[in-house]
Amino acid sequence: MSPAPDRPEQDLLYSDVEEELRASVRALLAARADSARVLGRVEDEQPLDLDLWRALAVDLGATSLPIPEALGGQGAGLRETAVVAEELGRSVAPVPFLGSAVLATGALLHLLGQGAERGGPDAQAEAALTRLAEGAATAALVIPLSTYPGGPLPAVSADGDALTGTVRSVADAAVADLLVVLAGDVLFLVEAAAARVTPVVSLDLTRPVADVVLDATPGVRLSGSGEAAVRAAVLVGAGILASEQVGIAEWCLSTTVAYLKERYQFGRPVGSFQSLKHRLADLWQELVLARAAARAAADALATGAEDLEITVLVAQSLCAAVALHAAEEAVQLHGGIGMTWEHPVHLYLKRAKADEIALGTPGRHRAALAPLVGLTA
Amino acid sequence: MPNIVVLVKQVPDTYSERRLSDSDHTLDRDSADAVLDEINERAVEEALLIKEAQGGEVTVLSVGPDRATEAIRKALSMGADKAVHVSDPALHGSCVIQTSKVIAAAVGKVDGVDLVIAGNEATDGRSGAVPAILAELLGYPQLTHARKVVIEGTTIKVTRETDEGLTHLEASLPAVVSVGEKINEPRYPSFKGIMAAKKKPVETLTVADLGIDAGEVGLASATSTVVEAAPKPPRAAGQKVEDEGDGGAKIAEYLVGQKLI
Repeated sequence: MSPAPDRPEQDLLYSDVEEELRASVRALLAARADSARVLGRVEDEQPLDLDLWRALAVDLGATSLPIPEALGGQGAGLRETAVVAEELGRSVAPVPFLGSAVLATGALLHLLGQGAERGGPDAQAEAALTRLAEGAATAALVIPLSTYPGGPLPAVSADGDALTGTVRSVADAAVADLLVVLAGDVLFLVEAAAARVTPVVSLDLTRPVADVVLDATPGVRLSGSGEAAVRAAVLVGAGILASEQVGIAEWCLSTTVAYLKERYQFGRPVGSFQSLKHRLADLWQELVLARAAARAAADALATGAEDLEITVLVAQSLCAAVALHAAEEAVQLHGGIGMTWEHPVHLYLKRAKADEIALGTPGRHRAALAPLVGLTA
Repeated sequence: MPNIVVLVKQVPDTYSERRLSDSDHTLDRDSADAVLDEINERAVEEALLIKEAQGGEVTVLSVGPDRATEAIRKALSMGADKAVHVSDPALHGSCVIQTSKVIAAAVGKVDGVDLVIAGNEATDGRSGAVPAILAELLGYPQLTHARKVVIEGTTIKVTRETDEGLTHLEASLPAVVSVGEKINEPRYPSFKGIMAAKKKPVETLTVADLGIDAGEVGLASATSTVVEAAPKPPRAAGQKVEDEGDGGAKIAEYLVGQKLI
């Protein structure tokens, strides 16, 4: 099949640069976010590892990949961002990547893109992106983590530049310096210190959420359509989340395979039993499919393909279920040890379950997908 | 502004199963994942630290098959400026002396070298002799097993760490240094570093380009060859002591027999 002339050829493989970026991120995470370390800090007062976050941001440049070089970013794109998300999923590293580097960055970048059409980008949005790119600040997009493409957005009211409203379960808000808030159709920048940010208990111990309360809190108004920017960011987030889910599933499968090879029962490795092999083979097939879907979404996000929305909805509805299934199988196939707090697999199960709800459940995605592909009830 | 050459080697990943090939007992490079040897990452890091403090240029030098370019790329993405890659099928099975001769000739291709930094020992061959042989061939002083390197003008000071303790060495440049595990923590390649590495020059040379006859290198004329290789025998079953009230005494007897107490 030859590609349409206006559409760059789809590429589902990883480039050399992407593989090298992966190797660098993986080496950093192996040294700084191994299972013991991640497990050790989930019950801390501050579960997010901000030293690791700084290393990812400043040393590797892994948190500012889609930000233009002129603003201090890497001038890369969402394909590379997706590779980092995969690795972060593999280690369930507790860093505010989704909230800051994907959602908040995605909304601000979309505003800049709109600015180009109007004849001038917003200087405040540029300054904020520069702070993020330099690793000088962390941001959060103030929407519930469960917001889905096409779904309702939070109702924050603006009286002049004073914002009032409550938004629940905002990912990575507790460590954000900068909040990106939608009020009406306008996006505002709010210094987090001026808002009330209260961490709340989440099922997912490695991605904390917080409630954000604004009470006549001053914000800086950004030009452009805030709603379009937030909707675009939710779509970007859903697409990148698919890659994180591939990472989760991959860790669950490879760790389970390794365990079943070394765990002996009845004088033979448990993995030699055919019924277990079948379950692992099924998982592997699901993983391969999920990876292809997630890569397609990352590629479509990077190239702005015409079928972007369809590709993201397919990936998100598929990968969410695969990650969860892989995590459930990992818990069960690990036997007794899989049920213990000391084994990291429960972190993956919780992340997979939270990710299934984050940025739209598979059901929501399928409901949104159906009319786009001509399926009507 | 020291001009530094860092020796790097691509080795089989120590986490994978490493084997010798059945036919000639040389390293079976296809059986395991190939990586930049970790000690070389520290050597590159040390060169970069010196460059960042004093300026100069860092050249990566590797002798190895074509796929060693991956290890070279990694060193370049960490921040080295350029690379020399000696790749020639004639080098297959070369011993440490032959290899050192090739490295010495390749170092000669780099203008005005002040310092050669190597890892103290590769994780595959583990001879740990190349830095010393190279220093001898180049006529440079050798400051091996460094855990601290300080350069002041044309003087180099090194703290050498061995099982016996620390030795403080001083020499004038040019010199050969080999670094140990404690020298530093290597950096991770940044995205910008990875992109920049694509554009950095890698000069590929054959042994003929170095003015060495192909007959002088390789397995046929090597000074040492592996005659036989066998896997480590499985650990024998331990000695069981039944405790009939005298278990403690029997354990003490055993430990005395082993000269442990």
